[in-house]
Amino acid sequence: MWHGPPSRHVYKPVEDRRLRDLHASTRTSMASTISEYVTLVSCDGFEFIIPRSAACVSGTIRRMLDPSSKFSEAITGRCTLETLTGIVLEKVCEYLLFNEKHKDQANVSDMDIPPELCLELLMAADYLDT
Amino acid sequence: MDNEVPLPPPRRLRHRSPARANPSAPGSVASSFRKSRRLSRFDDRSSQPSSDTALFSSDDVPASGLENYNAPVSGPGRKRRYRGTWWGEQVQDPKRKRADFKEKRNVDSGVWMGSDESVAESLLTSEDSPAWGEDLLKTVLDPRASGRAPTELPFLRGPVPIPAPSWQIVANGNDESEEHQFARKVVNDCLEKGEESIDLGNLNMKTLPKDMVQSLQHLTKLPSMREPPISENAYFSLQPFLRIYLPNNSLATLPRELFELKDLRVLSLRSNKLTSIPCTIRDLTALQVLNLSVNRLSHLPWELLVLLQKGELKHFTPRPNPFLLIEDADIVEWHRKPNEIPNEKDSNSYDDDDNKDNNDEGDKELLQSHVTFTEYEGTPPDEAWAAIHVATGPIILYNMDGKPIRNTQPTRLAKAQQTPSTNAPSLRELSLRALWKHPGLDSITEEEKLEFPSLVIPLLSLAQDVRADGGWYCSVCQREFVSRRAEWMEWWDCTPHENGMKRPRASGEKMRPLPFKRYGCSWACVPDSQRVD
Repeated sequence: MWHGPPSRHVYKPVEDRRLRDLHASTRTSMASTISEYVTLVSCDGFEFIIPRSAACVSGTIRRMLDPSSKFSEAITGRCTLETLTGIVLEKVCEYLLFNEKHKDQANVSDMDIPPELCLELLMAADYLDT
Repeated sequence: MDNEVPLPPPRRLRHRSPARANPSAPGSVASSFRKSRRLSRFDDRSSQPSSDTALFSSDDVPASGLENYNAPVSGPGRKRRYRGTWWGEQVQDPKRKRADFKEKRNVDSGVWMGSDESVAESLLTSEDSPAWGEDLLKTVLDPRASGRAPTELPFLRGPVPIPAPSWQIVANGNDESEEHQFARKVVNDCLEKGEESIDLGNLNMKTLPKDMVQSLQHLTKLPSMREPPISENAYFSLQPFLRIYLPNNSLATLPRELFELKDLRVLSLRSNKLTSIPCTIRDLTALQVLNLSVNRLSHLPWELLVLLQKGELKHFTPRPNPFLLIEDADIVEWHRKPNEIPNEKDSNSYDDDDNKDNNDEGDKELLQSHVTFTEYEGTPPDEAWAAIHVATGPIILYNMDGKPIRNTQPTRLAKAQQTPSTNAPSLRELSLRALWKHPGLDSITEEEKLEFPSLVIPLLSLAQDVRADGGWYCSVCQREFVSRRAEWMEWWDCTPHENGMKRPRASGEKMRPLPFKRYGCSWACVPDSQRVD
């Protein structure tokens, strides 16, 4: 599940995150199963936990998380997207879930996108290949 | 300018209203010229320009009742004057001089009212050239005469001193080409008289001014003034039966405002340089007659077919045009069952011949059989009256960047990459749609675009193009879209609707299908037979 807007998320300093990454990686490697949820991290430290299937709508994230690739993202289930800010990534996550939900439905009204985010989202869409 | 012309002596008899001045009377140019000067000097008379608000005098002086209206007013109290509506109760400031108003009016408001003949007269600088002013007056009143021979315009003949600011009033505030000025005059004339038939033919226009087309939205018929007794048929709808004729121009594009004229019934675009018809033509739901002959069209928009099938369009003239021929095109799917082909005998007899020739012959005959209408006897079936879908061409798919994927192989590849054809728009498409709806999009200039990341610039241009076209609609799911993901050609035979021939297809008639181009907003919005799941 995606856990609300970034305001609810606790900003974690960089040092802490690295430590957490370490813990997370040891945890997953011990569990050695592919988690159903993945974590997307923005450049300013906001984290979004969304279903893996939704995240894989994006070609870039899909390739990042491909288990056969042996990328660290694939092992930890945690993607750090350095080019995206928290505000943009929030909208991106909303889109990923929107796409997942309305994949095969016709007559779905478009997702609401504020005009000030249009250009940044265009850039993000190009980066994420979606 | 005040020093140039000596002021006429004040005349005893004054025109009470400008309407009483007869413009066609000899010497009227000079007299009305004087009149217009007088107007500026005596602002408190009743012969004011119509744009001024009405003046009312107060009835609070006791002696000035209706009974003794002309009685002299005693005492110091002149009647108070009210400007504006009588209920507004706004006393006109007597200290406010006309001079302020004059200064204000020096700024060109950009509004040119066709009925204001004083505009033409104000061009007159001296009384030596009254013929010139009359000529211009004639062009205003009868634009067709000047439309036929635009080179004989008087102002092209010799150096006539034209004061620049007043000329700009006529040219609507900018340097317009001659053709546009004429077109504007015709349109203004039609708007004024409530004339529903707008003939802008043979003007050699390259574009249509947007605001001119837009002004036609407000065209209203004038009610007829008849002597009593008034019969029943004196009452009729004032909604115009709008007809626009634009033959023999050089139009390469059409403004989207043309397709916002909901009342447009007849549109002739014969002999122009159009290469495509925008799909916004679907908004012209009242269209009954459409002439597109002698243009440079290679295909028609799919939306036109909807007008033919479900709309009012009954008289459609698409030919001649360099349309893509069904014989030359790739066909993926035929939609009509071929009639019986007498092929077996042929293939036997040509056994010894070259195989390739044989195939060509066979193809040709197969094609013939596909485009031949069913043979019937007696009353023609319903099918003989309708538009018939003959064939469908191959689909061209576009990737998210809007680049075409030429063959069908990449779709298999895409399938392998787990990108199934879905209805869901891409994030790029969603943001482009949001951008497209944003009103500030039009104001982004080319220079400003360069400041954006290079990635975004082509997408911005695309959104602006779509905006200029008035929006694109997916021909499958009817949603608005910005970047197309699929396009294909469909061949439909519309013979019963063409050229106003109101007759069914004959038995075994050879059909002449027209190419209609369809766009899809996603990889799922394609014909079912070619869909990759």
